[in-house]
Amino acid sequence: MSSATASSGGRSAAWRISLAGTVVFAIGSLMVFLFMAHFTEGDIERRTDTWLTGEMSKLQEDSAHLTGAKLQDELTDQIQEISREVPGSVTTADGRSDQVFFLQVPSNEKANLWVGAANATRVVPAVLATTPPAKENKPYDLRVDGMKGRFRVTSASLHDGGRMYLGVSSFDQHRVLHSMRSRFVVLWFVIVVMGFGVLFWMSRRMLNDVRQITEAASHIGETDLSMRVPMSGRRDEAAQLAATLNMMLARIETSMQQVHTMTGALAHDLRSPLTAIRAKLEMSLTSEAACCVEAEEIVSAIDEIDRLTELLTKSLDVAEAKADALRLKREVVDLTAVLAAMAELYSPSFAERSVSLKIVSDGAMWTLMDASLLHRMMANLFDNELKHVPAGSAVEFALVERGGNAVLRVSDNGGGFAPEVLERMFETRVKGPASGGHGLGLAFVQAVVLAHGGAIRAGNDGGAWLEAELPLAPG
Amino acid sequence: MRLLVVEDEVEIRAFLKRSLTEADYTVDVAGDAKTAKKLAFENEYDALVVDLGLPDGDGMDLLQELREQGLSAPVLILSARRGVDDRVRGLEHGGDDYLTKPFAVAELLARLRNLIKRSGPSKGEQTKLKVLDLELDLLRREAVRGGQLLQLTSQEFTLLEYLCRNPGRVVTRSMILNKVWGMRIQPDTNVVDVHIYRLRGKVDGDGRVPMIRTQRGVGYVLRDR
Repeated sequence: MSSATASSGGRSAAWRISLAGTVVFAIGSLMVFLFMAHFTEGDIERRTDTWLTGEMSKLQEDSAHLTGAKLQDELTDQIQEISREVPGSVTTADGRSDQVFFLQVPSNEKANLWVGAANATRVVPAVLATTPPAKENKPYDLRVDGMKGRFRVTSASLHDGGRMYLGVSSFDQHRVLHSMRSRFVVLWFVIVVMGFGVLFWMSRRMLNDVRQITEAASHIGETDLSMRVPMSGRRDEAAQLAATLNMMLARIETSMQQVHTMTGALAHDLRSPLTAIRAKLEMSLTSEAACCVEAEEIVSAIDEIDRLTELLTKSLDVAEAKADALRLKREVVDLTAVLAAMAELYSPSFAERSVSLKIVSDGAMWTLMDASLLHRMMANLFDNELKHVPAGSAVEFALVERGGNAVLRVSDNGGGFAPEVLERMFETRVKGPASGGHGLGLAFVQAVVLAHGGAIRAGNDGGAWLEAELPLAPG
Repeated sequence: MRLLVVEDEVEIRAFLKRSLTEADYTVDVAGDAKTAKKLAFENEYDALVVDLGLPDGDGMDLLQELREQGLSAPVLILSARRGVDDRVRGLEHGGDDYLTKPFAVAELLARLRNLIKRSGPSKGEQTKLKVLDLELDLLRREAVRGGQLLQLTSQEFTLLEYLCRNPGRVVTRSMILNKVWGMRIQPDTNVVDVHIYRLRGKVDGDGRVPMIRTQRGVGYVLRDR
């Protein structure tokens, strides 16, 4: 049973719960990652700018009192050092990076460019074409045609009136960010999948508990009231549900036992004196002293006792059925076979009264029913027809399949149910004026049908009809 | 034949003892399970009649205990239970039998007789039954009376066969319903009577000496003499 539970996980709420939770979690963690990426990008940019401005300040300072060739030498040394610090896409033999450039624009001479290994012809015009921001040593962006990414450039004035520009490519920055991003994506994917897995497993486990409880509860009422739903041993809501259900079942079992004790006691207390009375009547019949007239009265007294006994049995059955306490011993029964046997038993009686009896059936109808109750119920239906239908009528018992149920339809073209019966047909102590019985017949039929999980309807339609639906055995 | 009757109700115990003695049985009685066990231990019985509702225990439990102690005699259970439960219904398959109260004394006698007969030495499978001038061929399912073949339906044959297996003994309507139609029901109408009348028309018709006799208030008998 547990494997069936596992395989039907597709219908389980576990999917919905874990999918919904995972989506929320995924969106949330994605947002976190995006924020972190953005924050890191900004941070890297700020650090780069800080470094740039710092280096530029140093350069300004170091070259403050120098001019001409000495200035150039000093600047060259510094730049070479700087370019060695920055990792580049291509490095020259002496370790200079192509990601850094330095441009000196003396006031009266041509621009001097130090760039790692990249193309000077592109950088210089680009730099000169762009106007730096008004503030001294404030980094700004520079795009150079043909080069990947952009440069972050800062510009400061030389003490001799020229300007110098220091730029660093965002290549490394992008490299770092890119690798961070791809790691983030992989990590995000892994934790989303893991999160889904954990959520799914946990919610499935909880819902499995609930499912097991549901299945057990639905079986218990039908089969064995002493069973209880399984307890998982955890202390969560499902376990509380199981505990509550079990307490409820215990209460129901107790009250059922009380019903059975009462009906059992009633049965015993009534049957015992009836046994003694019947036996005495029977023995007085067979004794020599019985003469003809008395014999007839004794016989009819015995008949009355037998009828009374059957009424008692049916009444107790109906009482138990109404308390949902009717015990069934279910076995596989072919309704058609039972109907046929009943018809064979009753057909001579029907013929005697010139009532035609027709049996219609679709074929074997297998049900899981209490055979003894079924026989008594069917006999009840046949008896009713025999007793209430006038001579010359036609009676039909039809057994068909409809929507997974076996439907037994009893119909005749007699006078139909008496009006006072129609309204309260299935109650006890209801009978038509012409009926000689005790008014229990249909209540018993209803009790048996309902106890087996079926349905029953009856009415008039140019005669009386009754339909009893009984569930077919699965498979 | 010696019987042990275990029944706590005084009146029922009394008339059981009386009817069984009249039927030529030697009868010991017990009013509770304890006495029953003692008597069963001390004596050999050919059959037991046990009431389910004993003051100091359940009749089925008593039966189980006696069986465990080696009792092999057949047992007829008397049940006042509203619904006869699994264990009791299973008796029929286990070589024992049951009757619900109130019962017809004639039925008790008949079932008891069958129980004792069944547990005795079994004769070979019979293929023919003969009572007076009535002969039944069980293989070909044909009945002949006084040399004349009777035109019987299958059901009528089964009914006649049952009567022939209990010659000279009363069978009640409820026994007929149980054995011939396989149902334990109490119909409100006289269905069995109608079958008997029809059968009688064929078996006892044409001026023959009537064999199927009615015993008012009890049932039917097939004369065997």
